[in-house]
Amino acid sequence: MKGSVIKYERDNIDTDVILPGPYLKIHDYNELAKHAMEGIDKDFHKKVKPGDFIVAGKNFGCGSSREHAPIALSYSGIKAVLAISFARIFYRNAVDGAFLLPIEIEESAYRDISEKDDLDIDTSKNEIKNLTKNKIYQMKPFPELIGKIIAAGGLFNYKP
Amino acid sequence: MAKTLFEKIWDSHVVVDERNGRSLLYVDRHLVHEVTSPQAFDGLRMNKRKVRRTDLTFATMDHNVPTSNRSLPIVDQTSAVQIKTLERNCKEFGIELFDINSPNQGIVHVIGPELGITLPGTTIVCGDSHTSTHGAFGALAFGIGTSDVEHVLATQCILMEKPKTFEINVVGKRKNPHTITAKDIILSIIRQIGTAGGTGTAFEYRGETISDLSMEQRMTICNMSIEGGARAGIIAPDEKTFDYLRGRRYVPKNYDELVEYWKENLKTDSNARFDKSFTLRADEIAPQVSWGTNPAMTVDVTGKVPFPEEYAKGNAEEQKAAVKALQYMGLKSGTPITDIELDRIFIGSCTNSRLEDLIEASKVVNGKKISPKMRAMIVPGSQHVKKQAEEMGLDKIFKDAGFEWRESGCSMCLGMNPDILSAGERCASTSNRNFEGRQGAGGRTHLVSPVMAAAAAIYGHFVDVRELDLN
Repeated sequence: MKGSVIKYERDNIDTDVILPGPYLKIHDYNELAKHAMEGIDKDFHKKVKPGDFIVAGKNFGCGSSREHAPIALSYSGIKAVLAISFARIFYRNAVDGAFLLPIEIEESAYRDISEKDDLDIDTSKNEIKNLTKNKIYQMKPFPELIGKIIAAGGLFNYKP
Repeated sequence: MAKTLFEKIWDSHVVVDERNGRSLLYVDRHLVHEVTSPQAFDGLRMNKRKVRRTDLTFATMDHNVPTSNRSLPIVDQTSAVQIKTLERNCKEFGIELFDINSPNQGIVHVIGPELGITLPGTTIVCGDSHTSTHGAFGALAFGIGTSDVEHVLATQCILMEKPKTFEINVVGKRKNPHTITAKDIILSIIRQIGTAGGTGTAFEYRGETISDLSMEQRMTICNMSIEGGARAGIIAPDEKTFDYLRGRRYVPKNYDELVEYWKENLKTDSNARFDKSFTLRADEIAPQVSWGTNPAMTVDVTGKVPFPEEYAKGNAEEQKAAVKALQYMGLKSGTPITDIELDRIFIGSCTNSRLEDLIEASKVVNGKKISPKMRAMIVPGSQHVKKQAEEMGLDKIFKDAGFEWRESGCSMCLGMNPDILSAGERCASTSNRNFEGRQGAGGRTHLVSPVMAAAAAIYGHFVDVRELDLN
């Protein structure tokens, strides 16, 4: 899975800034996508390209349980969020509807990856190649349940 | 084997125990609201599924309902559609709905306990992160997203990995329970453990201070568990819990038998082990005021807006976050908290909108007027709270002082209904999140207790409520 990076150098990116409250009334996923990240980055919808990755710090997706947050990112074209850690409801929401991959990375990788770097992620090897910097980072393996939901293509296809 | 309360409730709800702590859990109560449910109902329709247990599913509308005159039509058309959609879905799938004109309408986490839907020892889910509130009754209550809402509607079960257990001990006596409130306790906890301190865990709040709290105060504590990163927060039920629920509309007929069972079973065994532990001394807690853009960015009312390096204690990321937060909040380091002037006051939300919150706030307000430049709102958490408060004459105290007395709903907690801050406006709010834009784009939120918010309304700036004569 290849894509380029949009980086936010901050921790605690909450679901209120990923998809602000006023837009929770919107039912259409493509409409939601137009407001992704609007709380901290009004230009996000202009710069995001299909297949891009977001890289951020600790506790990504904290706060509200709104699934609108991963949906808005997903329909913007984001395929994965790479963060040092995730809040648990967001983490689960991201994979339940097969919206995007929440990938936990080491703090050193977070620091090393720059805006617009091209990455190649291989979840079968838990490996992230930075094609721009010619480096390899390890991703933390998915916990068993999350890995199984991802492999099934979402919660409704999951079989124990 | 000795078990914690959390483990006992978890174990008693396992339908299928997969490997490595992964379980399919039975759900006893499912609370539904208008914002996180439309796609879930669409999913059911698309797959020709029914709601498995309509008798265990209850719905209300709270997030985007206007809190102004209910006899008027809803102006915002997208809100009106979302509200209509819930009505239609509840009718089609046979779910009991407390609609906008129901005497039972209110914030989902206020009405659950109020109607006796919330019970000790049960599992409760809702498409809202503050579902942790119901843990105050010794229930295991999780906030979930819309896919999980659909899954629970269809199967009455939820697939989860078992969280670790985290004991939060609050010991000793508060100096004054009227000025050092449950809100100050939970903000103190989050301030110390951090917004991700509880990630992957379920809190159990314990200790003398927690036992001393009323049920409504316990709800305030459990409500904000998610702000400390935990998926759930729980308090062992006791006589206060059983008394609070007795006689409420939806409690089972064999209530007293259940109480006997709960007394016997719903407690952490004395030799049970928690995965993590944290202890807070109640006598050291002062009234809390948040200064930044997450609930851990909080100081004592006697403190000052911190310098980023002092807040960060050598952590470069924290320092950057503090700089950004101060910029967003329009605050200067070193400013005494009591010098911060406010434009708006919001007393409401699933954290602090219950009768006791309003009674305590009214003591501060009684006979006084709000600062002339201020706009101040009281938004009772439910129609029942509103009615009870009116029977006590609280509405008159607030209205005479210059407060707006409004209809029940989530209101200005989350900026998705007409109650919002304008850019740059500064608000003392009894809600749970001070995130950027949470109460409206560019709005600045300071989280406080109801008495602190009420006092700020009168004086126009924060004051230490311990210095006020509340008798």
